[in-house]
Amino acid sequence: MASCGNPDVEADASMTKRPKYDRNKTCVKCKLQTGNIVIRHAVYCKDCFFPLMSLRFRRTLEPHINPNPQQHRRKGLKASGNLLIGLSGGLGSSVLLDLIQKTYLSPRERQQGDQNPNGITCPWSKIFVVYVDISGIMIGAPDKSSPVEQFVKRHSTTMEYIRVKLEDAFDQTRSPGLRKILLKVLSSSTCSPLVSLKTYIESLPTQTAISSAIQALIRVLLLHTAALTHSSHLLLGTSLTSLSISLISSISQGGGYSIREETQEEWTYRNQDNIEQIVRVIRPLCDVGMKECAFWAWWCGLKVVGKHRYSGGRQDIGALTRDFIMGLEKDYPSTVSTIARTCNKLTTKGGTSMKCLICQRPAQSGTQDWKQNISIRSYSDINPEDVPPGHVNLASRASDDLPPSNPHSIASSMCYACHTSWTSKSIRGRITKQTDIPLPVWLKISSSISEERRQITMESMRNTIDDFLLDSDS
Amino acid sequence: MPPKLCALCEAAKATLRRPKTGQQICRECFFFVFETEIHHTITEAKLFKPGDRVAIGASGGKDSTVLAYVMKTLNERYQYGLELFLLSIDEGITGYRDDSLETVKRNQQQYGMPLKILSYDELYGWTMDSIVAQVGRKNNCTFCGVFRRQALDRGAATLGVDHIVTGHNADDIAETVLMNIMRGDIARLGRCTAICTEGEDTIKRSKPFKYAYEKEIVMYAYFKKLDYFSTECIYSPDAYRGHARAFLKDLEAARPSAIIDIIHSGEAFEVKDEVKASQRVQRTCQRCGYMSSNPLCKACTLLEGLERGSAESGLTDRARKKLEAEGPAPDNVRTIPFFNKPVTGNPRVSIAVEIPPGQ
Repeated sequence: MASCGNPDVEADASMTKRPKYDRNKTCVKCKLQTGNIVIRHAVYCKDCFFPLMSLRFRRTLEPHINPNPQQHRRKGLKASGNLLIGLSGGLGSSVLLDLIQKTYLSPRERQQGDQNPNGITCPWSKIFVVYVDISGIMIGAPDKSSPVEQFVKRHSTTMEYIRVKLEDAFDQTRSPGLRKILLKVLSSSTCSPLVSLKTYIESLPTQTAISSAIQALIRVLLLHTAALTHSSHLLLGTSLTSLSISLISSISQGGGYSIREETQEEWTYRNQDNIEQIVRVIRPLCDVGMKECAFWAWWCGLKVVGKHRYSGGRQDIGALTRDFIMGLEKDYPSTVSTIARTCNKLTTKGGTSMKCLICQRPAQSGTQDWKQNISIRSYSDINPEDVPPGHVNLASRASDDLPPSNPHSIASSMCYACHTSWTSKSIRGRITKQTDIPLPVWLKISSSISEERRQITMESMRNTIDDFLLDSDS
Repeated sequence: MPPKLCALCEAAKATLRRPKTGQQICRECFFFVFETEIHHTITEAKLFKPGDRVAIGASGGKDSTVLAYVMKTLNERYQYGLELFLLSIDEGITGYRDDSLETVKRNQQQYGMPLKILSYDELYGWTMDSIVAQVGRKNNCTFCGVFRRQALDRGAATLGVDHIVTGHNADDIAETVLMNIMRGDIARLGRCTAICTEGEDTIKRSKPFKYAYEKEIVMYAYFKKLDYFSTECIYSPDAYRGHARAFLKDLEAARPSAIIDIIHSGEAFEVKDEVKASQRVQRTCQRCGYMSSNPLCKACTLLEGLERGSAESGLTDRARKKLEAEGPAPDNVRTIPFFNKPVTGNPRVSIAVEIPPGQ
């Protein structure tokens, strides 16, 4: 229906690009020195850049440190637990670590623009830094855990370094802490965790599903590590640019219902004493662009290790979104912040009914019915009033119809995005139908709880999953 | 190697791969699922009631041509009891709209539906050719979009219809969700996934193709040998939308469900109440009576700018202030006729329409 918008006609005709220097080359803050960096059309000198970054970082983080956000920050900052910093080795998380160190562990003399004249005491008793090593599934990729550990130790002796492997999500023996939190583990799998992880990844039908599954595994491992370390806060180094990429990528994969969680979320779990605990996931650099992070790292001499990133290239929605947003940022520099600001004005429709077993985020019920309504994949999906074509004999096909959806199946406990990841096929590629797919430990635990309640055997659970393990092109 | 059987009926030879599901199916099954899904969309949303007078926004392109065909088919098959009309807007683009209107006229003959063509020239005193001659190719889509929306409502009002259906497909809606997020257009983002929109002073408008893939619409038109006009508008330089469209095509290539997934995302969120409260209240234009969030609606503002030789005044605050400083609009400036929404159930046909022969 769209009759306009031919990209080949006349490039950039209707979206006027603003000049990068709005007025002149003098810093807009001190109005004395020549600027060194342009941030969203405004020029800043190097001296004014640091307090600006620090201010944005603290303005995002500090309202969420006290257990009661209403408590005024001037009365002091005191978290209810420890702090866990997720360090990927990439730019954002490296800058985040540096900012935490400089702001709370070795605060400098008061600088111009600094909001706290009395210095800041660290609001957390202990600070942990966790690195999730995904080198196991990156063919030929070096293990970066050692340089990451050195990076942490160079920065601070008070921060405690923790290394978690991605395959730990499938490890029932080497994650005693995880087991304690999650009560118990039930599994008959005898494969090594790495083999289980690889089998799980290989069973997914698209490149997009693989990269989003890896992200989900990392995220849940971070949350469980936060619980293990009694952390009340999990900080991630997501910059404004990265946030916009994740928002658009999530929306493109059907994750609109958890749009709020992409920016900030609270994860609830029960500790060993069965007391409900909350981990606040905060992205303190979500108001700072990737360019500013790069300048901070450059001017502070941070030796960024670099992170492993799984990319499925042109077949991966995450990678496509990254390329798209990075391209837009170059030509339309305001777009990145507009995306984040727009999504911040959104909320989910209706109340949250459940948590997704896979990603542990809020999930809507009835997503399968919705899918069935909008696309007929079998003659069993049609209504009685719908008359199929003459050559179709429904009576003879009755036994071939898909089994009725089981309301207690895993599918009904998955969010739309995870369900789509498991079932949506690619145009290209053919996935071998797997019969025995290992599952992450937390999914098995959740299912085992369901088993107690609904008497679903592991075998029937596997049978239910079998519906998702599609032969492509069929 | 035996021929691959249709994944749906498992009886006939599969002849196509469905873009929406990836299933290899036969042609007859494709027609069935395509039409039935649209029927499900219509019935789930309870779009019509028997006796409704419905105008099909017809441009002569693939979407509206297929829409007219499918609406006629479903109306007969499921006895919706609708009175269907074709409504076309002639923007006045030489070599583009005049050609596509010929397609609409052929559709009128083929489907036996009354046709009403309303032109920008008739309504605003300007054609897109003359607008582009004044404003150039930059921003001309703003004029066209604003004028078309009003023109459709006014054309529907003259037909005395209760409802306008447009051929917006799933690709269009997914693209609009992305565009509104990237442009920060929170008001449109909140309503762009709604299948049906109706303001107090506007005619109900809906999109039966909301979940239909563009590729499937083309496929349907191809197999049914439907006659449609296919050319991009010659004045369409919205490069920003072009970026979003190209991105969406990449997403679809990576995972065909991406289009539906984006629509599902758009349906899953809504604008926060505190943000809604800060949005401007809808009222009516002082000059033409059409819905507006300002004293003057966008079409009147743009038209006044054109008439006074300051087309930019409808686009930028600076130009608007400059025009306001020159004083009120002179009396000889052309204005849009006052808009009266038809009373539902009491149709008033005030302008003659072309009725196909034999009716």
